[in-house]
Amino acid sequence: MGHTRLRFLGVVAAAFMLVAACGSSTSSPPAKQYKVGLVTDIGGLNDKSFNHLAYVGLQKAITDLSVKGDVTESKSGDDYVPNLTNFASKGYDLVIGVGFLMAEAIGTVSGQFPNIHFAIIDGAGTDAKGNDLKHANVQSLFFSEQDAGALVGVVAGMLEKQGKAKKNAHVIGAVGGISIPPVNHYIAGYKWAATMEDPGIKVLIGYSNDFVDPAKCKGVAQGQISAKADILFQVAGQCGLGVLQAAGQNSVYSIGVDADQKDSDPSVILSALKKVDVATYTAIKGVVNGQFKAGALTFNVANDGAGYAIDNFSLPADIQTEVDNVKAKIKSGALTPPSDIPA
Amino acid sequence: MAASPATVPERPRPRLPATARRVASGMAVPVGSVVLAFVIGALIVLATGGDPLAAYQGLLCGGLGAFCTQGENPALQVSSTIVFTIPLIMAGMAVALPFRAGLFNIGAEGQFLAGAIACTTIGIHLGTLPAPILLPLVLLGGMAAGALWAGIAGVLKATVGAHEVVTTIMLNYVAQWLLRYLIIGGPLQLASGTSKSSPIGAGARLATLLPNDNNLVIFGLPSSVYRVHSGLLIALLAAAVFAFLLWRTTLGYEIRAVGQSQKAARYAGVSVRRTIIVTMLIAGAFSGLAGAIQIAGIDHNLTDKYFSDTTGFDAIAVALLGLGSAVGIVLASILFGALHSGSGVMQADAGISSSLVLVLQALILFSIAANFLGAIRLRLPGLGRAPAARPPDSPAAALMTEAAAPPPEGSPSAT
Amino acid sequence: MSVVSEILHLLVTASLWNQVLAAAVLLLLPALGGVISERSGVVNIAMEGMMLTGAFFAVVADLGLHNPWLATLVAMAAGGLMALIHAVVSIRFRADQIVSGIAINIFAAGLTVFLVNRIYGIQDVGHASYSELLPSLNIPVLEQIPFIGHVFFQQNVIVYVALVLLVLVHVVLFRTRLGLRIRAVGEHPQAADTAGINVYAIRYGAVITSGLLSGLAGAFLAIGVSNTFVPNMTDGRGYIALAAMIFGKWTPFGAFVACLIFGLGEAIYANNSIIHVSPYLLSMLPYLLTLIVLAGVVGRSNPPAADGIPYVAGSE
Repeated sequence: MGHTRLRFLGVVAAAFMLVAACGSSTSSPPAKQYKVGLVTDIGGLNDKSFNHLAYVGLQKAITDLSVKGDVTESKSGDDYVPNLTNFASKGYDLVIGVGFLMAEAIGTVSGQFPNIHFAIIDGAGTDAKGNDLKHANVQSLFFSEQDAGALVGVVAGMLEKQGKAKKNAHVIGAVGGISIPPVNHYIAGYKWAATMEDPGIKVLIGYSNDFVDPAKCKGVAQGQISAKADILFQVAGQCGLGVLQAAGQNSVYSIGVDADQKDSDPSVILSALKKVDVATYTAIKGVVNGQFKAGALTFNVANDGAGYAIDNFSLPADIQTEVDNVKAKIKSGALTPPSDIPA
Repeated sequence: MAASPATVPERPRPRLPATARRVASGMAVPVGSVVLAFVIGALIVLATGGDPLAAYQGLLCGGLGAFCTQGENPALQVSSTIVFTIPLIMAGMAVALPFRAGLFNIGAEGQFLAGAIACTTIGIHLGTLPAPILLPLVLLGGMAAGALWAGIAGVLKATVGAHEVVTTIMLNYVAQWLLRYLIIGGPLQLASGTSKSSPIGAGARLATLLPNDNNLVIFGLPSSVYRVHSGLLIALLAAAVFAFLLWRTTLGYEIRAVGQSQKAARYAGVSVRRTIIVTMLIAGAFSGLAGAIQIAGIDHNLTDKYFSDTTGFDAIAVALLGLGSAVGIVLASILFGALHSGSGVMQADAGISSSLVLVLQALILFSIAANFLGAIRLRLPGLGRAPAARPPDSPAAALMTEAAAPPPEGSPSAT
Repeated sequence: MSVVSEILHLLVTASLWNQVLAAAVLLLLPALGGVISERSGVVNIAMEGMMLTGAFFAVVADLGLHNPWLATLVAMAAGGLMALIHAVVSIRFRADQIVSGIAINIFAAGLTVFLVNRIYGIQDVGHASYSELLPSLNIPVLEQIPFIGHVFFQQNVIVYVALVLLVLVHVVLFRTRLGLRIRAVGEHPQAADTAGINVYAIRYGAVITSGLLSGLAGAFLAIGVSNTFVPNMTDGRGYIALAAMIFGKWTPFGAFVACLIFGLGEAIYANNSIIHVSPYLLSMLPYLLTLIVLAGVVGRSNPPAADGIPYVAGSE
């Protein structure tokens, strides 16, 4: 009895959806307003990093594409599934999860809502074992962080080779948050390119085990500076702001990450960019234009989804030439930065 | 028909109205505290240029499925609230039971993590065993691990008098770092570069109440979105066990006696040390069970999201708001589950940061804390034929008995 | 080179100890606040929340006023205000002091993120420029001393302030009438009351002082060590300070030694680019050490007798 009633409800709901769907396609209103839901990971919107950039992309879409955009910040990991489900159940056209921490949640919810489009930054919709479920409604937005890392690594290596850095000991550093793939990709490209430019270089790699507390990263940075590093690359989100500051206070150079961190500290000579805003906007545009494509979409130097910015520094012409040269080779495929940190 | 003064005491009291009065007076403080917190929360939203009505409407929709305006599915919201409620019930009891013994267990979070870790470890390594064997095994394993974690604090308290508040805070951090070690580079890590464990075996998983089926549509959505699992029944059963233990067993009497006065309990022949240790063991088992059920019922593996878990901390507020009773804890868990579930909808619909919920939780705690003594005093005389309040023996006991009732005039101070 | 010899090598570098001292001071200030509060008989586990509030308001004020000193005062006031809430709830209303402390910590975590969201929207909170930061100060002449100079005399101005406060708190607590009163109130409030000491005034003062010190630590963290506010940036330091206070047996110098030990763990780990130690063990160390101390292995650690017990005037 109860069972049939549930079935009946289901049928009614399905019928309602069908009618609604037909209604929208036959009456062809002037422009359907697309609805996009964005779910941040626990970093929140003010993370000065990828959650923030994703929101910037959404804002651009709201302005340029007239979509309706709503955001939910996840307070804890327990919120990922409910927050994604909430948007999906409300019939949003695209639900975006920010960050690879949400991979499993996207995998689950996308299976439940095959008619809703999903996109995830830095990951795929996976099962509990981390295998990509390859759902037809999920777009995975990946980044070749190693490309961006390589471009700033070229500059760091050239500066060391030419003795233009502060200490001339041929030592540079990278401070990661936690040793996870998106972090290590950056460091891999950085070390690879710096070593390519200056074979005698020593690249110190440390982790703060934290993405939040700037003081922790500052400590790691000071350790590297004591060991004669004079260019420091931060790959630790908000924690990494401490790296930039440590560099500034010790008069050495620093390199920002993800977003352009020019304003964070005068010591920032470059930023390695991961254009999460571009990726988010691209995903939304794809849905609006009816060109959603499931599967992996990788943002790299070739499609301008990864790159670098020159900040509080004027890059010498010969170094600029070399960066352009390496960039062209990566674009053409002549050079491929590794995604694992070289030994 | 005025009764003569002499007959009044012998007259059987009208039971139901008295019970109702007691319930009403018992409810007054927590309900009042919640209302007060919401009023102050509204003022904070208003003062910062937000719309409190929109915010609370979002909370109600996301928490209870009521007053939804943006096409939310009420059944989905209710199920989400229940999912958040389940671990809070058990962790809440892990805080409430030691309360009764005059102990403050701030370590429910660490015990929760210990339970989750044990459940995952067993669920992976014995993953091929059939459910009738494996499921009890992972749940009991979680309880044992939680009991062990809390037992350390209990033993330290009973033997060298180490303040349980401090030991449990320290144990929380040790559990946090143990968890990080285990799933980043440690033995439970799924694969290099990941920050999660392998999934537990199929036999270690609790069934969902509705079929976990993406194609069966119930209340307009695939039934798999309703994640309410049989852990709900275990939680309610645990609440019944809690009430029975506290009010119908010798151990429960001993726990309450120790909480009232360690000296008096000692005179009555109760071993205070043994009671403290046993209380903490049982409390830890409750919280460990919560952790195990969260793994077995919802997540099926340990992930980095447990780094930011707050179940054991929310449980403190739940235990206080629930006035340490089983029914109260269940009701308070539902409230906190609803707040948690509602915060996401509130932000999506009203644009109010979901951290408003933390502010509300803190405000509830403040007002409960400030009224805590009155609340317990109202309830205890009717429920626990406890000895008169006596001077406390230790700071921790003092903490709770003082909170329960200030020492009568003329009582000597603590030494 | 083995890890042990690497660590030994690291231990003789001045830059390590410079880091240790800076890290220890971040813990010392709230720990001193905790010592004062608990010596007066009010349990304080709310240093985390007071510090976080201080950090937030330091940044808000600094970005508005462009003056780190004023911003530091604002941060101390904000920490003091949170402490006042704790004091009113736990002294005036005789609420459970631990519950109140937990509430303060949750309140601070929620309120700061909520306000970031309301004030800055999703924009970057912003960064204080160098002239707006609490400056590092090299003490002339003394900084030239080999080793010692770098460790002690090339530090942020707050480090010197904290060391002065350390001595000051010790002297006040153990060498002055005020200190005697504070301890009397914490050990035996009824007797203190009989002797004409205003128990409530002492306790209010002590709790608020703990807030001022925690707020100062927040300012140091946000506009000294860092230059911006990040949600939850205190990262459990208030709780480690609590551990340090107990570890140090409720004495200022004892707490300082504990802060140095905890700071040493943090500083050694900070050098993981050179020494590959397990981050987990080192991060766990402060808590395990505190547990061991509490277990009585290094002697008993007892709180003041009336710690945590609300005082009812005329109850004797």
